[in-house]
Amino acid sequence: MMHSQIQAVDDTPVKAPTRRALAKQQTRAKVLAAARRLFSEQGYEGATIRDIAAAAGMSTGAVFANFTDKSDLFREIMLTDMTALAEAMTEAAATGNGVEDALVKIFNAGYKFYQTQLPLARAAFSVGWSPEDGPALRNAPPVQALLSLFAEQLTRGEQSGELIADAAEPLRTQMLFDAYLSNYDQAIFQGWSLDALHTRSREQIRILLAGARRS
Amino acid sequence: MTTPPDLSVANDPAGGASAPPLAAAPAGLRQSRKEATRNRVIQAARELFDTQGYQGTTIREIARHADVSVGSVFTTFASKGEILSQVMQDRLDGLYAELDRVMPHLRGSTLDRLRTMFAIHFAFEVRHTRLFLAHIASAYDWTLPPSAKPMGRTPRLQEIMRECLEKGVAEGDVCPDVDYQEVVHLLVAAYAWIYRLAAWEDADAATMTEAMDRQIGLIAAGFTPRA
Repeated sequence: MMHSQIQAVDDTPVKAPTRRALAKQQTRAKVLAAARRLFSEQGYEGATIRDIAAAAGMSTGAVFANFTDKSDLFREIMLTDMTALAEAMTEAAATGNGVEDALVKIFNAGYKFYQTQLPLARAAFSVGWSPEDGPALRNAPPVQALLSLFAEQLTRGEQSGELIADAAEPLRTQMLFDAYLSNYDQAIFQGWSLDALHTRSREQIRILLAGARRS
Repeated sequence: MTTPPDLSVANDPAGGASAPPLAAAPAGLRQSRKEATRNRVIQAARELFDTQGYQGTTIREIARHADVSVGSVFTTFASKGEILSQVMQDRLDGLYAELDRVMPHLRGSTLDRLRTMFAIHFAFEVRHTRLFLAHIASAYDWTLPPSAKPMGRTPRLQEIMRECLEKGVAEGDVCPDVDYQEVVHLLVAAYAWIYRLAAWEDADAATMTEAMDRQIGLIAAGFTPRA
């Protein structure tokens, strides 16, 4: 009885979508798929809304009815990916043996995730560093969730006694995250293998954890 | 015989459109005219980027401000991203010359010397932080030709840091078995992050320096020999 009541409460907000809503969803999905392809082929700067609309087989007006502008469209793609990425990283972290290993596994999960879509990662950096569009991407909840995952590893290390509890923890979290991001340059521009990225990550993590280690 | 374009009429908005066709000029003259166009475009871009930002400036505006045709901007530069790269490269050359002059005379620990180096950096660049951020972003820009040197692909800064660490090994405050390249790489990542702090949070040079000092301190724990 209790159970079915909870079910009922859970079900209320999910109304059967109207035909109109379904059509809108399909339009969005079509635009997003076309945009993902064009951003990967032509980069963020190279892909125009006009091209994206043409590739999706609709008018630019129809694209603008669903997304405010190109950066909105791009952000939507990135945030979908980031949510999936956070899941992959969380799973990887769970198999880590100690802080350093868990962090190495998190880095690797990220590089593996983007291995086949580096052009999109490149576009993401272009947007992420932009003075105009960067903050919205960086401050988006799925990106913040990735940062929290990094922070959790440090907290876990403190609890297990590997690391000292340390006021520099937020700084260390952010620096680990930026080190993780910085290695994409090697992957994108110099074609580094997952192994090479793995070796570098381990060394970076070792350096960044050194100050918090119990000697 | 055509005469070279008079640079003093650079503010005449009609001047660019009526410039004589380049093909009519002999090779040497053509070369120097191309050089003059290049300089005018860079000068105009520098002023416009500083006043209205990178994203807010169009190639058309740069051409108008430089008093050249849009076409001749494109015969000199592949894209706006390449113009930005050149503008920033010129600025950085000045900074690197300053660092080359100062670094050999710095005293103190490796940590101190690295901190001073970045403090000089930020004092030099603080007026252009948004532009620096755009400069970093442009490294990922598809429209940038391979010849352009965006942020991160300029080896000089990394060499200066490496020299600083080598000196530290000689003086005993940097672990001899530390991987310089990894330390330098982390410093570069930290340094780039400072521009986000500066541009997004409107930080001044002192705030930038203070934030960088903390990051350098954290990295230094990874290269300082344990007592």
